[in-house]
Amino acid sequence: MSDEPRDATPTAAAEADPDVSDELGDRLSRFREREISTVLITVVGVLVFPFIFNNFLDGYTQLATLMLIWGIFAIGFDILLGYTGLLSFGHAVFWGGAAYAAGIFSASVSSQPLLVLLAGTAFAVLLAWVVGFLSLRRGGIYFAILTLTFGQMAFYLAASPLAFLTNGENGFTSVTIGPLLGVIDLHGGVPFPLSIAVDNMLYVFVAAVTVLSVAMANRILHSPYGTVFRAIRENERRAEFVGLHVWRYKLMAFVISAAFAGIAGSLFAIEGNYVPLESLYWTESGAIVIMTVLGGVGSLFGPLFGAGLYLYIENIVSGFETLGPFWHLILGIVFVVAVVVFPDGIWGGVEYLRDKVTGGDES
Amino acid sequence: MTLLQTEQLTKQFGGLTAVDEVNMEVEQGEGVSLIGPNGAGKSTFINLVTRRLEPSHGDISFKGESIVGMDPHQVVQEGMSKSFQTASIFPELSVKENATIAALAAEHGSFRFNFFRHRNSYPAVDELADDVLRSVGLYGEREAQADSLDYGNKRRLELGIALAAEPDMLLMDEPTAGMSPDETQSTVDLIKRVKEELDLTFLLVEHDMEIVFDISDRIVVLNRGSVIAAGTPEEVQNDPAVQEAYLGGVEE
Repeated sequence: MSDEPRDATPTAAAEADPDVSDELGDRLSRFREREISTVLITVVGVLVFPFIFNNFLDGYTQLATLMLIWGIFAIGFDILLGYTGLLSFGHAVFWGGAAYAAGIFSASVSSQPLLVLLAGTAFAVLLAWVVGFLSLRRGGIYFAILTLTFGQMAFYLAASPLAFLTNGENGFTSVTIGPLLGVIDLHGGVPFPLSIAVDNMLYVFVAAVTVLSVAMANRILHSPYGTVFRAIRENERRAEFVGLHVWRYKLMAFVISAAFAGIAGSLFAIEGNYVPLESLYWTESGAIVIMTVLGGVGSLFGPLFGAGLYLYIENIVSGFETLGPFWHLILGIVFVVAVVVFPDGIWGGVEYLRDKVTGGDES
Repeated sequence: MTLLQTEQLTKQFGGLTAVDEVNMEVEQGEGVSLIGPNGAGKSTFINLVTRRLEPSHGDISFKGESIVGMDPHQVVQEGMSKSFQTASIFPELSVKENATIAALAAEHGSFRFNFFRHRNSYPAVDELADDVLRSVGLYGEREAQADSLDYGNKRRLELGIALAAEPDMLLMDEPTAGMSPDETQSTVDLIKRVKEELDLTFLLVEHDMEIVFDISDRIVVLNRGSVIAAGTPEEVQNDPAVQEAYLGGVEE
């Protein structure tokens, strides 16, 4: 402050800093606009989450880790479904495909977690280029059916013709994960400052990748890509008639979403030390659709919450004594209620409430 | 300089010849209207030019280069933009974003792989979108959701989107269809002003003869797929063939 020229009177300072007179809502919305804010919110979120989850919600760290992994998958899926308006029913092919690629890579090339992650993701991206190239030829329901077909093809390929690679119905059991960067044991404990929040190195690794994934998704959605994707969702023909190569942008959306599925699938193999054949099954493609819609299509954080809630019901509620056996039914009811009450998903409901609170004290 | 030229352009749907060996030219800076009774082949002609339909035979060239075989987005990139018959906008996006999408395509081409910078760091795109919104009078509403505009303003936005593609030539398919008299008048004024400001070439399809005679430099009359007359508004008005087509034997 002492370096400032003397004529910087209090009035000038106040003018230069419009925040001073701002309403709380305005300040909040400006904070949300900034990229770094999104990252910070996510960092705080992933650090606080296991503490709350383990202590108050009957959770355990391994499930928290899985929630983040599926959350990454859902964030990517939402770029395709929520922002570009394309419903794929075959995304298990990228999730499971990446898990297998990561697992096989770890067993036969390198057990370095970062390289394993990279290998699985690269495989998903390459696969998406091919699958997208073929299935984006048709729109709407044909696209959904084509992706479903590719997904099922991959499932049967992994089940028998490629069993020498995938170990068929038993799943791939030879995943070997070495220490991160050669020194950090992923299954070991956590050093002091972090240990207040989390108890497991694997969670820290997955959480770090989650933060990066959120930052990437946030950047993509705030880049021209995000604008063009939403334009395609809103009015594909118009987008074409302003001079955009709609098909290539759709392929990009498809590949980007598959990249996220690839990151998540690779983490899934790393986390479980195992790749089940079911990871390629169509039910996984269905689960990701439900998670994304449940959380809120067209929002950045919604899918993370959708994934969390889905897994919570599947793993925690299913263990309740009386309600447990009916967890599928409960999931269905939650889905129907969420879709009817909050058409924009859980996150849409949260945003609605937040706007009521921050916008309420204006007048 | 001739911007648009069709040679023997023909489109047949089964046994019906919707457009029959049409030869027509649009010069740089010219405002041309295409008129004709219902079923004369106007919409088919526009759809051929914008590459939504494949011609049965004949050629279409834009700036001296054949555009037959190009995709619609390529034709737009060449400089021919289109305003639709209905308000074809991006309803859930803001007015500004609507214009930005066209401006992105105008400034950066039909596809860019490396497009990952924050959207605020493309000032040329931003400026173009703002300019267009100012010229169609929607700058004040740039933050509004496009869907919340009234019909007249949606059509203005539609026109704005077409202009943000930075066209050398603008095709307009009944720009005042469904508008109230007030909205029609303000749209006509807008088209006139934009034509002057941007030295815009346009090809207009319109039913309202008052508008056509008001804003066209030249009029081309289609009937049953063929050009039956072409010339200045006065020439066309006094052409017996045109009067015949409009007043007698129009039952089709």
